[in-house]
Amino acid sequence: MVNIIEMPEITSPTIANQPAPSPEPGVERAMIEIEDVDFSYGTHQVLHDVSLSVPARAVTAFIGPSGCGKTTLLRCLNRMNDLIDGAQITKGSIRIEGTDINASSVDVVDLRRRVGMVFQKSNPFPKSIYDNVAYGLRIAGVTKRSLIDEAVEKSLRSAALWEEVKDRLHVSGYGLSGGQQQRLCIARALAVEPEIVLMDEPCSALDPIATAKVEELIRQLKEQYTIVIVTHNMQQAGRCSDRTAFFYLGRLIEVDDTAKIFSNPGQRQTEEYITGRFG
Amino acid sequence: MEGVADLQTLIPPRTTSRRVQAAIEQGIKAFFGGNALVAIIVLALITIFLFREGFGFFGQNLTNLRLYRQAGLEYVDIIRDVSTQHEALSRKLSDIRLQEARAMEKRSVPVEEINATLAPFDQFASAFGDTAENLRTLVSDLTDQASALKESLYARAELAAQRAQLERSGALAAAEKIAVPAVDRATALATLHQGAATFESVSAEMTATLYTLLAQAPPLPDAAEQKTFDQWKTRTREYLAGLPKASENLRTWSAETPIPWYRSISSFLFGRDWVTASFWQDWYGIVPLLVGSILVSIVALFFAVPLGVASAIYVSEIASVHEKRFIKPYIEFISAIPSVVLGFFGIAVVGQFIRAASQSPWFKWISFFPISERLNIFTAGCLLALMAVPTIFTLAEDALRNVPRGFKEASYALGANRLQTIARVLVPASLSGIVSAILLGLGRVIGETMVVLLCAGNRIAIPDFSQGLGAIFQPVHTMTGIIAQEMGEVVRGSTHYRALFMVGLVLFTITLGINYLAQKLVARYRMSIG
Ligand SMILES: Nc1ncnc2c1ncn2[C@@H]1O[C@H](COP(=O)(O)OP(=O)(O)OP(=O)(O)O)[C@@H](O)[C@H]1O
Ligand SMILES: [Mg+2]
Repeated sequence: MVNIIEMPEITSPTIANQPAPSPEPGVERAMIEIEDVDFSYGTHQVLHDVSLSVPARAVTAFIGPSGCGKTTLLRCLNRMNDLIDGAQITKGSIRIEGTDINASSVDVVDLRRRVGMVFQKSNPFPKSIYDNVAYGLRIAGVTKRSLIDEAVEKSLRSAALWEEVKDRLHVSGYGLSGGQQQRLCIARALAVEPEIVLMDEPCSALDPIATAKVEELIRQLKEQYTIVIVTHNMQQAGRCSDRTAFFYLGRLIEVDDTAKIFSNPGQRQTEEYITGRFG
Repeated sequence: MEGVADLQTLIPPRTTSRRVQAAIEQGIKAFFGGNALVAIIVLALITIFLFREGFGFFGQNLTNLRLYRQAGLEYVDIIRDVSTQHEALSRKLSDIRLQEARAMEKRSVPVEEINATLAPFDQFASAFGDTAENLRTLVSDLTDQASALKESLYARAELAAQRAQLERSGALAAAEKIAVPAVDRATALATLHQGAATFESVSAEMTATLYTLLAQAPPLPDAAEQKTFDQWKTRTREYLAGLPKASENLRTWSAETPIPWYRSISSFLFGRDWVTASFWQDWYGIVPLLVGSILVSIVALFFAVPLGVASAIYVSEIASVHEKRFIKPYIEFISAIPSVVLGFFGIAVVGQFIRAASQSPWFKWISFFPISERLNIFTAGCLLALMAVPTIFTLAEDALRNVPRGFKEASYALGANRLQTIARVLVPASLSGIVSAILLGLGRVIGETMVVLLCAGNRIAIPDFSQGLGAIFQPVHTMTGIIAQEMGEVVRGSTHYRALFMVGLVLFTITLGINYLAQKLVARYRMSIG
C-alpha cells in the first residue's frame, strides 16, 4: 500500500513552476503537445498544470501510483471525458500535430478515428470476432466486403491474434480468453488505422505469456503508430517504452527518456517509486 | 495482536444468551418462511379454484349443445339461416339505393327527380322484401314449437335432477313426491319435421317469384352502383341455388344424431358467437372476445412500443441530467393514474375527439371515415397504450442502463456518433431486455379491465375485416371486460358462470405464457451482459 503520510513534500517550487517544455528536450517531432493542463471532475481537480510532449512513432509510458490521474490524462487525448458529466479541462490546451483538439472547429468523431484507444478493462462488443474488428470501418461507412475482409485480417495479424482465431471469425468475441479479448480490442482499435494508439494498462489482466505477446506487439506497432501506454509494471515500461512520464497526485513529476528515468532519475520521488521503496 | 485487542473493545459484550439468540433467529426464519408459504398456498388455491370452477363448464356445455339438437332448435336454425340471408340481401338493396341517391345528389340532381328515377328500384326492393313473407312466418311458427319442447325438456331435466339429489341424500319419501312429467318428444319432433315440406313449397314459390323479379330488375343511372347491383344479383342467384341444399339438410336432419364430447371444447375455443341469457340458445364461443382483446392489445402496443422504447433511449442516452430528473418520474407517474379515471377520460375526451377528427374534411380520403362509434378498439387501444408506456419505459430504460459502460465507450472511441452507438451497440446489447419489457407491457394491456370495459364499446362481435384497417374503429368486447360485466349477474354454478371462469382461465394462461417468455428473455439478457 502507498503510505502517503511518509512521503516528503512534493509541492516544492522547483517542480510546480517548471516552465512548459515546448518543445521538450529529447523530443524531435512532437505528435501531441499538452500544455499547462488543469482538469476537474466537477469541482474535484484531478490534474494540475500538466505539460508534456509525446513524440511521434515512439512509445511513451505513463507511470505513477493509483489515482494519480494517468487514465484521466489519457482520456483527455481523445476527448473521452466529454462523456462524463461535469468533467472538463479548466486550463491549458492539448494539441495534436499543432491543432487544438478542444477547439470548436474540431470534429470529435474525426479526432477519435485518428486517436484509437484500448481500455484498461477489455471490452469487446457482444458480437462475433469479425464484427468486432469491422465495427469501426462499418460506422465510418465502409461497405465493401472485400475491403473489410482485408482490414480485419490485417488488424488481427498486427494484434498477433490471426493464427488463433482465423477458423472461428464468426463466433462471439466472448468465447476468447481474457488475453485474446484484450488483443481483439487492440485489433479493433487498429482496424480504423489511427495515427495514435492510447493503451490503458493493456496487460493488467494478462498472464506473462500474453503480456509478452502484447509487448512484442507494441514494439512492432511503433514503426507506424504513436503510442501512449499507461502501466503499473515498471519492467514493462522499461522494456517497451522510449520515454516515460512519472505522475504523482495529479502532477507530472518528471518526463525523460526511459533509459535515463530508470538509470538516473532526476527526482527523488521518481526514484523511490521506481525502485519500489514507495509502497 | 494489538489491533485485535482494540477491535474487541469496540464490540459490546454479548448480553443475550446463546439460547435466546437461537430462538430469535428461529423466529425470524419462521416469519419469513411463513409469509412465503402463505403466498404460495394462496396462489395454489386460486389456481385450483379456477380450474375446478372452470372445467365443470365442458360437461354443462355439452348438455346445452345436446339439448339444442334434441329439442329441434338446430332444425329451426337451418331455416332461420335462410331467412337471415334473405334479410341481408334486402339490407344490401337499401344500401345500394342510398349510394345511388348520394351519387345523384353530388351531380346536383333535385330531390324529386331522384325519387322519380329511383321509383322502379324502390318497387323492386319492396317486392324483394315481400318474397320472404312466408318464410318468416314459417320460422316464427317453428320457433314457438321448438321453444316449447325445449322448455319442457329443460323442466323435466331440472325435476329429475332434484329427485336424484333427494334420493342420494336418502329422503326417498320426498323424492317420490316429485313427479317427473313425461315429455312426448317423438310427437313434437314429428310435427316439427313437417316444417321441411312447408319449407320446400315456400322456397319453390320464392325461387320462382325471385327469378321473374330479377329478370325485370330496373337499371340504375350510375355505372358504379349498377355494378354493385349486378354483383348483388349474382349473390341472389347463388342464394337461390343454395336453397335445395337447405331442404336436403332439413330432410336428413335427425334429433338423435349424437354430439361428440369434443364439440363442447371446440365450440368454446372456436365458437364465433357469445350469446347468453337468450330465450332461444346460449352460445359460449370465445373467439369474438379473444379477437377483441388481441386487437385492442395490438393497437395499444403499436403506440406504446415506439413511445416507451424511444423515451427510454432518450432518457438513458441523450437527455441531460436535468431533463432526466424531470422526464423519468413524470412518465412513471402515469402509472399512478387509476384506470377508471383513464377510462373516464377516454370516453369523455379521446373517443369524442377521434370521432370529431374522423368527421373533419382533412381525413376524407380515408375510406372508412367518418366513424360512427365513439367507443371502439382504437379508443381503448390509445388509452391502454398510455398504461403500457410506463411499464415499457421503466424496464427498457433499466435494460439500456445496464449495458456495460465499456461497450458504449469502445464504440465512441472508434469514432461512432451517438446514433450509431445507440443503434449498433446499445440497443442490440439490451435487445432481449427491451423485448421482455414489451412483453410485460403486453401482459399489462391484455389483463387490463376497466379501460376496455369503459372504452372498447362492448359489442360482442368479431369486427368486419372486409373494411381493412377500418376494423379497428369498430366496437368489441374483451375477455377481461366480459368477466367484469357479467360475473356479477350470473347464477353461481350455471353454465354461463363456468364459461366466464373458462374465459378467465384462457386469460390466465395467456398472461402466464407472456410472463414466462419475458422472464426467459431477461435471464438470457443477463447472461449475455454478465
Ligand atoms: N468519472 C469520474 N468522476 C469523478 N472522479 C473521477 C472519475 N474518474 C476518476 N476520478 C478521480 O480522478 C482521480 C484520478 O483518476 P484516474 O482514473 O485518472 O487515476 P489513474 O492514475 O488512472 O489510477 P489507476 O492506476 O488506479 O487506474 C482519482 O482521484 C479518481 O477518484
Ligand atoms: Mg487508470
